[in-house]
Amino acid sequence: MTPTYYLLLSALLFSIGAVGVLVRRNAIVVFMCIELMLNAVNLSLVTFARINADLGGQVMAFFVMVVAAAEVVVGLAIIMAIFRTRRSASIDDTNLLKY
Amino acid sequence: MIASSWLLVAFPALGALVLLVGGKRTNSWGHLLGCATVAASFVYALALFASESLSQAVDTTLWSWIPVEALQVDFGLRIDPLSMTFVLLITGVGALIHVYSIGYMSDDRDRRRFFAYLNLFVASMLILVLGNSFVMLYLGWEGVGLASYLLIGWYTDRPAAATAAKKAFLMNRVGDVGLAIAIFLMFKHIGSTSYEAVFAGIGDVSPGVVTAVALLLLLGACGKSGQFPLQAWLPDAMEGPTPVSALIHAATMVTAGVYLIARGAPIYNLTEDGRLVVALVGAFTLLLGSIIGCAYDDIKKVLAYSTVSQIGYMMLAVGLGPFGYALAIAHLLTHGFFKAGLFLGAGSVMHAMNDEVDMRKFGGLAKKLPITAVTFGLGYLAIIGFPFLSGFFTKDAIIEAAFGQEGWRGWVLGGSALLAAGITGFYMTRLMLLTFFGKERWRETTSADGREFHPHESPPTMTAPMIVLSIGSVAAGGLLIGGDTLAEFLSPSVGALQESHHGVLPHALIPWLTVLVSGLGVLGAWALFGRRTEGSTYTAVERPERVAWPVRAARKDLYGNALNEALVATPGMWLTRSAVFLDNRGVDGAVNGLAAAFGGGSGRLRRMQTGFVRSYALSMLGGSFLIVGALLLVRFG
Amino acid sequence: MNPFLAQQMQTVEAPGIDWGAILPMVIVFGAACVGVLIEAFVPKHQRWSGQVVLTLGSIAAAGIALGAYVSGRPEHGVVTMGTTLSIDTPALFLWGTLLALSVAAVLMIADRSVEPGGSFVAQAGIAPGTVQDRAQVQSTGMQTEVFPLALFALGGMMAFTAANDLLTMFIALEVLSLPLYLMCGLARRRRLLSQEAAVKYFLLGAFASAFFLYGLALLYGYAGSVKLADIATAAAGTDRSDTLLFAGLGLLMVGLLFKGSVGPFHTWTPDVYQGAPTPVTAFMAACTKVAAFGGILRVLTVAFEATSWEWRGVMWAVAIISMAIGAVLGLTQTDLKRMIAYSSIAHAGFLLIGTMALTDEGLSGTLFYLLAYGFTTLAAFGVISLVRDSTGEATHLSAWAGLAKRSPLLAGVFTFLLLALAGIPLTSGFVGKFVVFSAALSDGMAPLVVIALVFSAVAAFFYLRVVVLMYFSEPASDGPTVSVPGAFTTASIALGVIVTLLLGLLPTFALDWAGAGGFALGG
Repeated sequence: MTPTYYLLLSALLFSIGAVGVLVRRNAIVVFMCIELMLNAVNLSLVTFARINADLGGQVMAFFVMVVAAAEVVVGLAIIMAIFRTRRSASIDDTNLLKY
Repeated sequence: MIASSWLLVAFPALGALVLLVGGKRTNSWGHLLGCATVAASFVYALALFASESLSQAVDTTLWSWIPVEALQVDFGLRIDPLSMTFVLLITGVGALIHVYSIGYMSDDRDRRRFFAYLNLFVASMLILVLGNSFVMLYLGWEGVGLASYLLIGWYTDRPAAATAAKKAFLMNRVGDVGLAIAIFLMFKHIGSTSYEAVFAGIGDVSPGVVTAVALLLLLGACGKSGQFPLQAWLPDAMEGPTPVSALIHAATMVTAGVYLIARGAPIYNLTEDGRLVVALVGAFTLLLGSIIGCAYDDIKKVLAYSTVSQIGYMMLAVGLGPFGYALAIAHLLTHGFFKAGLFLGAGSVMHAMNDEVDMRKFGGLAKKLPITAVTFGLGYLAIIGFPFLSGFFTKDAIIEAAFGQEGWRGWVLGGSALLAAGITGFYMTRLMLLTFFGKERWRETTSADGREFHPHESPPTMTAPMIVLSIGSVAAGGLLIGGDTLAEFLSPSVGALQESHHGVLPHALIPWLTVLVSGLGVLGAWALFGRRTEGSTYTAVERPERVAWPVRAARKDLYGNALNEALVATPGMWLTRSAVFLDNRGVDGAVNGLAAAFGGGSGRLRRMQTGFVRSYALSMLGGSFLIVGALLLVRFG
Repeated sequence: MNPFLAQQMQTVEAPGIDWGAILPMVIVFGAACVGVLIEAFVPKHQRWSGQVVLTLGSIAAAGIALGAYVSGRPEHGVVTMGTTLSIDTPALFLWGTLLALSVAAVLMIADRSVEPGGSFVAQAGIAPGTVQDRAQVQSTGMQTEVFPLALFALGGMMAFTAANDLLTMFIALEVLSLPLYLMCGLARRRRLLSQEAAVKYFLLGAFASAFFLYGLALLYGYAGSVKLADIATAAAGTDRSDTLLFAGLGLLMVGLLFKGSVGPFHTWTPDVYQGAPTPVTAFMAACTKVAAFGGILRVLTVAFEATSWEWRGVMWAVAIISMAIGAVLGLTQTDLKRMIAYSSIAHAGFLLIGTMALTDEGLSGTLFYLLAYGFTTLAAFGVISLVRDSTGEATHLSAWAGLAKRSPLLAGVFTFLLLALAGIPLTSGFVGKFVVFSAALSDGMAPLVVIALVFSAVAAFFYLRVVVLMYFSEPASDGPTVSVPGAFTTASIALGVIVTLLLGLLPTFALDWAGAGGFALGG
């Protein structure tokens, strides 16, 4: 089985994530879509590690996971704060700043 | 000591900065700071003068000012005999006039700002004379122009002051353009603007360019120094406070033109045509100024035209090249003393007479203002060339050198200089008689604002500088010319003074001739104004309309303004109108259209910033598609 | 045998660390950690003073360490921590710039004179609009976590500009971004706007990070390594598909351009600049831009110089779009912070021009521009924070009408800063534009420079509009008051103004510094 399929899958997941960011309204879901994009990248990294026969890609995937976890901490805190204010997690409600 | 010569400029510049930034907080001590900074510069200059030999020019570079490819201009100063002479004059006379201003401006609410401008002027003037490149000179040149503009228009409530400031500004611009183009030419043909490089390289430049540079520098000098055809602004500049007239429009700034040409001696030495034009301009102006000086009743205007005339002498002298550079500087120095003294005296008279300037309302003031009368009288004797006072030595030397030229030049230049000496005797005597002697006409009239006159002597802060300056007026000439002291001192800067041996008149004759002609002028004035104290038409307050043509012409500044109007202003206005038409219809149309397009586009485009995160994400995604797509297209397309 | 297992057989050697070179960064990160401990263990009323001393002290110490290292640094820089950090002249210059800028920014953050308790919320957990919220506006407490957060962000920026491989760059990017997201949401007043700014910045920032990371993965696939030097070697000759290279480059640039707020990835900038507390906006506008363009410079110069022919056209377009958006949209803004945000987008376009030149002049010009722009914009935000009405800062343009009559000094300073942003001679802005544009000219980008000049003329219009408004309009009757700044804000504005003036008058010093050496390619 060629690794190319994994790359295609990864690209597909990344695209799904990107489209999800555009079409979903709930901030949590948007955030999950971004996580999906990051994890799609992880798949690519591991695949390239396999192709290149190099351990670096796998290590990088761990780094990405750590960073993603940190991002979750910060992100959920911010989303929590605004949810408590507005009683809504819809990102379309937050548009006081415009033009 | 030379290495820290920047301090000379730094003191007054700092003073100006503190006074301008400090604002009202410095009101109580601002004038003292203003005087102290200039005095500090003067003391420093004296110390420098005493401790250094100054036998050659020393350039110090402070920092690289304009480093652009080939154009390298350093912020550098040059200390040499010529610049030191000017520094001493500027700071010395400047310090005296600062002190005088404390008294003169004591009633002005904005006295602090006045001192700030004066400090600014001194700093700029020092940059002008100390700079070691033509660009540095230009910096100071514009700086003094600015200070002069601000100070002429000082009395903002007088429309005449505003007009005069504007006129000075515009006419100076004409000259500045000449100076600027001259600098461009130097850079184009020599590749540098520093004195060192320009003077070293000017010999290799084609004679046509040298003459062009010389004439353009002359244009600049004419603008700054009130020489024909740009003389008309200087008398109008008397709208400024009198200390300004004394410092800027008599002693220092207006002599910058003479400095420029003396500094450019290596350029002028190469072009005889250029020198001749300078000398002719000087000769014409000195006649013109002295003739118009006879026609005014305004004491400051008379002195102003006298300045125009005296600077004409200096121009004539520098136009004589190696025969005259040192003489011009010598006359410049003595003139700095006696003319500043005369102006301060006039200021003292005005101070006593409710700011009245019309001499027909004066008369017999010697009794009321004894110190002013004596100091003014000494200045008067100096300017008319009374034997063994300053003017006698320096003016006589110039007339002598002018007659030292060969052929028609000797007759024309020498003759006009001699004639003007006589006219000078006439108008100065007239001024003296009308102001200080004769009937006390002020008892019968009131000043323009209806107040009666109560003349009184000025406070010591005003009289002290006048006394110091009058001592200078008496003694400076003999000290400078005697034994060629100044000429030898200046020789490293402008070359040794040469003496002509085949002039049109014998040397020994000329001093006697000068004294004779001046004496005739004095006698003429006395005959007209001195004897007829009762019921004379010349001292009537109303001006007679039906007078001879020369008087009418002189009262109209010998048609100087009309000439400018016809030759420059009218065609200029026409050009402006057509340019405005073109601009309104063509350029503005395009620009306005463009601006409207930008504004409208902006108004519409900003709606794209909807405030929704998701639309922002879309624009980012779209942007990344474009970038990646374009990159791949470039690579594989 | 399985290739993975084969690798495991090798022994791993601990990489050498040049402590002297990375000491400034270590000090900053260390102080940030200590700052977190202060939050945990020091009683509430002592935290502010402790944090301020610690933060300013550590930045100063880092500055001293940097100064000590710079004087004896190796000429071509060193690559240390394995091959992850490259401490070379541009990195050191940017570190110096970042440290100096963050001193000014921290002073503004710490200021409590303009508003009692500072610009930051007393407790971030309180929901806006509630009784507690109204009480916290009046209280003098403040969320002092801002200081360690700022230090973490600063450390991340320093790491970002020195990162020698893409993974380090990514980590540094997150380390600098995450604290900033939080800091945006901590404003004391107008909490709704502040929180909205935080959410927008966070979501879009994370989105951009994902692009950066995908680019990293593709380049890893292309070159087999994420080291910048290895990517450069691979680009010079490899059998892999160039699709990976260019798609990777494109996605990587999206992430970087986002941080530099270059159009069309600028959309967050106006909203976040407006919503965030003004000291944080100042910190972001100055320091993030420095870090982002430091990263772009390094990536383009070290890794992608060989392929510059392919990407330069695209970057031209990006630069033009950015300048156009910044200059044109800035014309109709009515909020000053938003206006400066658009100005920052236009400046990002100008900076990109210098970045593209890839010559020594381009490098030194861009570094100088960053230094100059950082200080000017920082001081501008400092001034904005002083004009206030009853609801906090009065950032609407109409409130600034006729301000020169009420506060000539403030109007004068702001005018000077606006002129610097517009690039008028005798200010650092002029010199910055001049060096960047002349570098671009000599590298054959004349048409781009002409376009840039047109847009800087358009942009000058909206700066001058503010000047005209301040000087020639009648002040509104219920206009804002101008607060008398305390020592901190005064110091930071004065620093910005003095640097702007000095760099305008005597640019040679800084230019020589910026041009002292190129990137270290080792590793």
